[in-house]
Amino acid sequence: MRVVSVSGARGSGKTSLIRELTARLSMKGKSAAVIVNEQGDAVYEQAFIQAHELQVRTIRGG
Amino acid sequence: MGCSLASSLVDLKKELKRSHDPDFLFIEPSEMVVTQELRDVTAMGLRDIRYDIGPFITLVDGPLFEFLWSERRTLLLGQVKDADLVAVSRADSIDAGELNIIRQTLDRYSSNLIALSIRNGDGLAEVVKRACGEV
Repeated sequence: MRVVSVSGARGSGKTSLIRELTARLSMKGKSAAVIVNEQGDAVYEQAFIQAHELQVRTIRGG
Repeated sequence: MGCSLASSLVDLKKELKRSHDPDFLFIEPSEMVVTQELRDVTAMGLRDIRYDIGPFITLVDGPLFEFLWSERRTLLLGQVKDADLVAVSRADSIDAGELNIIRQTLDRYSSNLIALSIRNGDGLAEVVKRACGEV
């Protein structure tokens, strides 16, 4: 397991980049998980999670 | 990042490692976390489980840069300084002159700065390569 972090201000594209990376990994048969320190709405919708067999965990606060 | 939050992050990391052992685990921290703090927390857990660490990528919102530099400079630099890769995101929404100002401003804090646009794909291949290797 390799741990990769993507930091930045809200709206900077963290989720978009991670979605792009996990989708590419999924297409290559690599598995991925995400830990989100969420402050707002859920950002990984169920269809995306299922399509890419993504594990998503959320931490509140931060 | 508070102690309980750091502890939750470590616990989740262990749980995911033990239950799924994914090839990649992405951490998407809140906007207030600086990179060194994240490095410290990411290393916690190595006592119990084995995993590789990095890279630490920081996205600098291109269109928001002026505000971030003016109002949140300490936080911005805390995220930029210790990052392995800094990507100026939404680069398609700023012009070459603005991008150049961002490069010149951050140049002394990071030698690994690229322009990124998820929308048109600019810089994406480099970020993918740095984050995930040759996938």
